[in-house]
Amino acid sequence: MSGLSPRQWTGLALLAALAIALPFAFEPRGYGIRILCLALLFAAMAQAWNIVAGLANQISLGHAAFFGIGAYTSTLLLIHFGITPWLGMFAAAILGGAAALLISLPTMRLRGHYFALATLAFGEVMRVIGNSWGGLTGGPVGISVPFAQPSLALMQFRETRSSYWLMLAALVVVTLVFVAIKRSRLGYRLRAIKENADAAEVIGVDTTRTKIIAAVISGALTAALGTLYAQFQFFFDPDTVFGVASVSVRMAMIAIVGGIGTAAGPILGALFVIPLEEFANQVFSAQAAGLSQLVFGLLLILVILIEPRGFMAIGPRLQRLLRKGDRR
Amino acid sequence: MSYSLLGRGVSRRTLMLGAAGAIAAPHVIRDAAAQGKAVNVGVILPLSGANAQFGVNSRNGIELVADEINAAGGIKSLGGARINLVVADSTSTPTTAANVAQRLLSQNDVVAILGAFASSLTIAISEVTERRGVPLLTMSFSDQITGRGFENIFQVVAKASVLGKAQFDGTLAIAAAAGQKLERIAIMYEDTAYGTSQAAGLRDGAKAAGVQIVMDDAYPLGITDVTPLINKLRGSGAQAVFPVSYLNDSLQIIRAMRQQRITIPAIGGAAGYVIPDFEKGLGEFAEGVLSISPANYDLAPELTERFRKRFGYFMVHEALEHAVCMDVLAQAMEKAKSAKPDDLRRALQGARFEGGWTKAMTGGAVQFDKTGLNTLSVPVMVQWRNKELVSVWPSEFAKAKAVWAV
Repeated sequence: MSGLSPRQWTGLALLAALAIALPFAFEPRGYGIRILCLALLFAAMAQAWNIVAGLANQISLGHAAFFGIGAYTSTLLLIHFGITPWLGMFAAAILGGAAALLISLPTMRLRGHYFALATLAFGEVMRVIGNSWGGLTGGPVGISVPFAQPSLALMQFRETRSSYWLMLAALVVVTLVFVAIKRSRLGYRLRAIKENADAAEVIGVDTTRTKIIAAVISGALTAALGTLYAQFQFFFDPDTVFGVASVSVRMAMIAIVGGIGTAAGPILGALFVIPLEEFANQVFSAQAAGLSQLVFGLLLILVILIEPRGFMAIGPRLQRLLRKGDRR
Repeated sequence: MSYSLLGRGVSRRTLMLGAAGAIAAPHVIRDAAAQGKAVNVGVILPLSGANAQFGVNSRNGIELVADEINAAGGIKSLGGARINLVVADSTSTPTTAANVAQRLLSQNDVVAILGAFASSLTIAISEVTERRGVPLLTMSFSDQITGRGFENIFQVVAKASVLGKAQFDGTLAIAAAAGQKLERIAIMYEDTAYGTSQAAGLRDGAKAAGVQIVMDDAYPLGITDVTPLINKLRGSGAQAVFPVSYLNDSLQIIRAMRQQRITIPAIGGAAGYVIPDFEKGLGEFAEGVLSISPANYDLAPELTERFRKRFGYFMVHEALEHAVCMDVLAQAMEKAKSAKPDDLRRALQGARFEGGWTKAMTGGAVQFDKTGLNTLSVPVMVQWRNKELVSVWPSEFAKAKAVWAV
């Protein structure tokens, strides 16, 4: 963060103050704050995905696997051993990281579509296991986090506000990790791989090892966020947490809509996509069946058609346009 | 003035404002209408996605009852307050269902919520309603719904485990009445969450009944060629088959069975087996197919024919049970002389409701126990007979004698 000018620092501090104070503008247990929570959570998820996809261009469509592992790990630890989700979250991260290592060993040698397909299959395998290993996961019926009186120790809050700050903190942590990696040696190696993997290999980058390290960090963070999701919704089933559309593709979509490979991209993407989806549901769902989904899909297509590189590319593009206008 | 406004003077901003106003207008108008003497009731159902058809059926049932109550003068003990339904789409994802519930609670001030057909959606909603202390009335089957000690949830139908057991007991009883001893059965199920869980229930049922499973095959959802399955079924020597599927695959399986002249009974587990599309898709081959169902319209035709008259098809069970949810809620309002969620919960807890739509349930009334479960509801076995679903088991509800082999 040393590369920021004092003016940028001030801007960042103001933004942070605004983000922390924002919940006071909402009904404490209301709908608006809930959507904000989900937007922050999905921003953090997309940011975790961004580590491996944005920096190394390894487009994963199987991150739901880690997310689901995280949700189930902390919830099962809580149900069977009474372990607080705060610790469960760390166990989730360890298991998520281990799963990422396991799946990366064979797949990180794959490139492009082959990697995307292999990860997609991994996510689906986890979904099937979640559905069929009923003794552990509760099977397709889903699993509930035990109802408790509001308590910080059990990560259950009376007001959604507290969840908001938790999600905000998670987003900040994941974003800091992303920025730190991007500026580190690991980040440069990842970008070398992204530009040209063969060239990177020639100049002495152990490409597979580098990609695996990034994948493990990304998987561990995603699993920890799975715990936060479980403690926010209090109920989930395998099809939801291991879902391709509900998690894997959504993580990728948010990062892509916002601007893949940038730190602000996933945040902008989530603040756009999640409220948009809710807005479409609210306005159109009482009308014709399925209309809300259609509108949501069409708006997303429109956004990607206008700027395939995401929101982060719109700023520079506007600047260029303005400059061109000046010359004329 | 107005000329200049309509002419060049229309700015882009004015246009945008106008457009935004036009989009928002129906909502503003609806909200204004609701402010008179009306009670907002939330309705959350899957109106898009895989379960959309069941969601629409359910909404029809609720609308029928709400309109009847309003036409008859609303809630009398509340000075004739109208029921104002606030309908929302849960899609097929629990996260959305919970979001929608939160929205209805904080923006529409709903006093109770009805829904949401699929158990996973209902459970997700209940995590929100329980924390906000708002009653949730449902016809979802899952045992988990009333198994968690929640105070604000009310389940008007028998639980999934009871339903699964009845599916087996009913089959055994019908076989016995036809002079057959059921010893060997076949299970085939779609490899989805729904299929896997239903198949597990059937296996438990077979084990408890001492019946041998001679075929136990999963098939991929949307299977294109069922011939290998049917050939295996023919060779298995099964006396009855349980094809588990929401709708499309079971149509294929049963058509292929009947075309190959395999006449053993097929027993379904509600869902797609008990909707008009089943008969539309199969035609004469639907005749004689059995299914378990948590309720059936032929038990109270004087009520359910009103549904057929308005919507043009028989009152499917999810419509009927949601209608009962709506009626029970209205009765609770009358009783509590209040539309506050806390008062409604107290009026519902452990209470008995009679008359109105509760007569259409198998128990003829609704009696909630401490957990919120309707203890009077028992499942019925229904059979497709001449394009209609006829109750055939247990005997106290039977409108006709079951046919075993077709």
